[in-house]
Amino acid sequence: MSLEDASLDIVPGELLAVVGENGAGKSSLMNVLYGLYQPDAGTFLMDDKPVRLKSPRDAIARGIGMVHQHFMLVPTLTVAENVVLGREPTRRGLLDLDRACDEVAATAKRFGFHLDPRARVDTLTVGSQQKVEIVKALHRGAQVLILDEPTAVLTPQESDELAQVMRGLVAQGRTVVLISHKLKEVLGVADRVAVMRRGRTVAEVRAAGTTVSALASLMVGEGSRGAALTGVPAASGAVVPDAQGEATSGPIVLDAKDLRAKGDNGRPALQGVSLTVRAGEIVGIAGVDGNGQRELAEVLTGLRSLDSGEGTLLGGPLKGLTPALAKARGVGHVPEDRLARAVVKAMTVEENVALGRHRQPPFARGPWVDFKGRRERATRLLSTYDVRPPDPTVALQALSGGNQQKVVVARELDADPKLLVVVQPTRGLDIGAVAQVHARLREAKARGAGVVMVSLDLEEVLALSDRVYVLYEGRVTGHFPRKDLDERELGRRMLGAESDHG
Amino acid sequence: MGERTRQILPSVLSVLLALAVCWLTIALTRDADTATRAYLQMLWGGVGNWPAFLDGGNANAVLRPLGEAAMKAAILTLTGLSVAVAFKVGLFNIGAQGQMIWGALAAALVGAHVSLPGVVHVPLALLAAALAGATWSSIAAVLKLKRGVHEVISTIMLNWVAVSLVDNWLVIGPLRAVAEGQQSSITGTAEILATAQLPRLLGDSSRLNLGFPLALVAALGVWVWLTRTRAGYETRAVGLTPEAARAAGIPTQTRAGGAMALAGALAGLAGAVLVLGTEGRYPGSLGAPYGFDGIAIALIGNNHPLGAAVSAAVFGILRAGGTRMQLLGVHKSFPELIQGFALLFVAGRMVWLAVLRRRREQPTREQPSGEQPSGEQPSGEQPVAEVPRA
Amino acid sequence: MLEVLHSLLFSTLDAAPALVFAALGAMLSERAGVVSVGVEGMMRTGAFCAAVAALAMPTPLAVLVGMAAGAAIAAVHGFLSIRWRSDQVVSGMALNLVAMAGGTYLLESFFGPNGTPSITQLSRWDLPGLPAVPLLGALSGHAAPTYLALTLPFLFHLLLSRTPLGLRLRAVGDKPHAVATLGLSVSALRWGAVLGGGMMAGLGGAVLSTAVLDRFEQHTPSGLGFMALAAMVFGRWTPLGAFAAALFFAFGNALRIGLASSAPWLLDLVPQGFLLALPYLLTLLVLALQGQRGHAPAALGTPYEQESR
Repeated sequence: MSLEDASLDIVPGELLAVVGENGAGKSSLMNVLYGLYQPDAGTFLMDDKPVRLKSPRDAIARGIGMVHQHFMLVPTLTVAENVVLGREPTRRGLLDLDRACDEVAATAKRFGFHLDPRARVDTLTVGSQQKVEIVKALHRGAQVLILDEPTAVLTPQESDELAQVMRGLVAQGRTVVLISHKLKEVLGVADRVAVMRRGRTVAEVRAAGTTVSALASLMVGEGSRGAALTGVPAASGAVVPDAQGEATSGPIVLDAKDLRAKGDNGRPALQGVSLTVRAGEIVGIAGVDGNGQRELAEVLTGLRSLDSGEGTLLGGPLKGLTPALAKARGVGHVPEDRLARAVVKAMTVEENVALGRHRQPPFARGPWVDFKGRRERATRLLSTYDVRPPDPTVALQALSGGNQQKVVVARELDADPKLLVVVQPTRGLDIGAVAQVHARLREAKARGAGVVMVSLDLEEVLALSDRVYVLYEGRVTGHFPRKDLDERELGRRMLGAESDHG
Repeated sequence: MGERTRQILPSVLSVLLALAVCWLTIALTRDADTATRAYLQMLWGGVGNWPAFLDGGNANAVLRPLGEAAMKAAILTLTGLSVAVAFKVGLFNIGAQGQMIWGALAAALVGAHVSLPGVVHVPLALLAAALAGATWSSIAAVLKLKRGVHEVISTIMLNWVAVSLVDNWLVIGPLRAVAEGQQSSITGTAEILATAQLPRLLGDSSRLNLGFPLALVAALGVWVWLTRTRAGYETRAVGLTPEAARAAGIPTQTRAGGAMALAGALAGLAGAVLVLGTEGRYPGSLGAPYGFDGIAIALIGNNHPLGAAVSAAVFGILRAGGTRMQLLGVHKSFPELIQGFALLFVAGRMVWLAVLRRRREQPTREQPSGEQPSGEQPSGEQPVAEVPRA
Repeated sequence: MLEVLHSLLFSTLDAAPALVFAALGAMLSERAGVVSVGVEGMMRTGAFCAAVAALAMPTPLAVLVGMAAGAAIAAVHGFLSIRWRSDQVVSGMALNLVAMAGGTYLLESFFGPNGTPSITQLSRWDLPGLPAVPLLGALSGHAAPTYLALTLPFLFHLLLSRTPLGLRLRAVGDKPHAVATLGLSVSALRWGAVLGGGMMAGLGGAVLSTAVLDRFEQHTPSGLGFMALAAMVFGRWTPLGAFAAALFFAFGNALRIGLASSAPWLLDLVPQGFLLALPYLLTLLVLALQGQRGHAPAALGTPYEQESR
């Protein structure tokens, strides 16, 4: 699945947004524009002349620059080395690093960025790394700058800053192409919006003359699946706010105090987090990527060990928790990186359904695999959760991302968890699958499970949560019951602002 | 193309192509007639000279070669299994050679210096060999799991350590057989006792011994373990996606360590089969790089325990026949060249699949699309990793 | 005492080049992200082809033939691992097996089991003035490869750290996708590194049969390629580190041989086998101490696919 009959006009000196669901072909189209992929058919005109972009080199030569969603930086090199890579200044055949640093500093300054050209990239924050990416493109003389989902990892405040940067570039006569699925944000900054659906460009509208809901229905198409499934026109085309969210007073399933743990890099990731979760509520964990949310989820599922702090999780101590112990107590886990953490993609669907409960009936009999019991259970779950194809014997990797996620959710809910920890549960899914996953989370809550949901998507947090904790640099900087939720205030806390009213 | 065909066909084609290339090698360096006759000798030497036998010849014309082939196949099966089991848990065991050396030494020592009735002596010697091999492979496992040292590097180093310590010290020094009378030029350890010898199955005319059925049972056992038991399921999960296995509560380190120990035990058994079955003692050195052959055997067998047994049988036959090629002035290591080329062609498995697909002109894509459909290259070939890596 | 030290240094410098070249070759390939366990096979091929070529042409030219042969084997490795994204360790081991058995077959077919006929060795150079100086005199009287081995590591260091090409090679070994999005060709860079690595390994092999010995022997290079890998890892994938490690290993070897002839009683205390095992044990120890993949390039062993990131 990629592109079919997609067309796009890019006008110099404007900010064009390209919107569409995940998998609608936005990234593919941009990779074609950047010369990374070759189209099977079609033409590409620049200044009315046909052009063939055989590689990014051609694109760069013609003034096209791209900032990828996953940064394309070499972590072990410095900022300057990353920026000049491929067009290095030399003196007598040798690399002239001093000149590189000067040049990069000059470019950064010209566009208003503060960057230390001699810093190693792996020591920078995500926001700074993005700036390095932008400088990298501008340094190559990019007149057209393509940004692929640039705000996915930024706070609202950082996103605002980026919007100013983009407007500034346009004001200087450059062209910016912004790829996003965040419609509100797009309308705030773009001049024109192109909508993609299933590999085609289906509409082009002026931003000033349209609304979020008009764009959303264009994105989803006639007889929209999203609207049909939820009965509510989607705000961003993806998330349906919860109407009946009421704080519950079920028994406490998790009570944690002053949790401290280290991240993968050995630096403190959790620096004193306290939280409680009750049965029958969804607790959202908001924060900018990399502020300890992931580590918190790992601590709760036994994947990461605590340095200090204590707590009770489903009647047992939090300290010394292992994944097996967590499972035994009734913790379900839908991790962020499905392919790395939740499934074994080369195994069959039924083998994946068994994963985690493979030692117990109906998946095992004594030390042996129970093939019959496993087949029966898998078949039943596939039909209940509407997984397509409903064949338990195919390799999991043959399924689409949405269906893979359904398998994971089905497996975790089938175990009837008392505490469900989900991280970015809808990342990369299309609207239909998002709605289904959300419905399942609400269902788990209704059944009396406590749900901890980590999400970088503020809209998702706002729509589903009964309470929200905000994490910043491994600390809780905000705790909001549902009635007090406010997007701007959440954003402030995500940047580390302490509460001003106690 | 069915999934099973996709798995097997490249290996079969690789072996055939290797045979053809090597025939050409002889034909070019000598002449076509010699090449053909050498191949015939190799065949008769491996499976027996059936035409001569059916013409009323001696049964030994068939039994002896088959016995030689089975003997070689047994050792290759075990080292092949050793490599394959490690692959299943995502580790590349280049160290089967070193593990086999220790296994052979342990078997030789128990065989020579412990006196017991045969029923217990053979199992004890086998057990000692398995333990010795497992101990050696566990060093690599511990280095990997505790210190993150890549197993490819550590097992290569451990091979050389084993060769240096055993061949260049122990068997020429402290463990060297005490010379009897005038035979002072003897190298290697003392002769094993008769009770420790693997019983011959077809009498004296053929060297076919218990080692061959033992290797087959091992292959079958490994296969059942991997596919039918919880532990085997867990081991495969760890090999394919270690983080998902950990999140599912599987003790990944135990499984990885266990598989590596099993790999070492299997290689150790290969050493025991060599010593207890044919050599009768630890010779000056093992003579052939059976451990490295195991890599070829496992990969040509597509990392499947039964596939390894089949490819070991094929190369066991070729190698047993290799000695007969000497009659025509072709070095007896020639089958190793065939094996090397076969592995090289198997390494190019992607080439085979591409060629086969082009021939078939399949309108639909064989491979399911990846995780992110939007990020897929339109003409992209989905890579199939031959080896699961940790 | 000075006498002994002098002869130790001399034999170290005589034996080191093969190891140094092979280690540099392996490093070049691995810094670009392509695993190089096939270095043993490349050395063997280089040694064989150089020895055979030297029967028909001047020895220095034959060394070039050996380099080309190493590069040819590396080309097969590149074809499988870069073009077809095969497993790099498998491909390398396969080439080792082919070179091992193929070398034996060709040797026995054309020359017999003992090796090729002897050839003219590379001539040794006397450096004027040096032999009179104590210890430094050990620098004089070696063949050209020794002097090359003493300079190349520094040139490689310069290449990697101070040239645009070096920057690109480091980048392609750590994050190939970043290199690709800048319009540079990942496969061209890797091909270059693999072929260059093959030439260096071939050179290492050629040195064995034209300078250390005067012919190709049945077991050449008898594990020296694996020792070069150890030196590269020991030297943390850097040219100067690999150089130092290779010198150290060569010195250890010279010491062992020296001891065997000058102080046999010592070998009764410390068995020869221990000394043989020492470089490998040391490498293991260093790896165990530095832990966690050490300093290997991040994308080492991962075939480059455009669509994955």
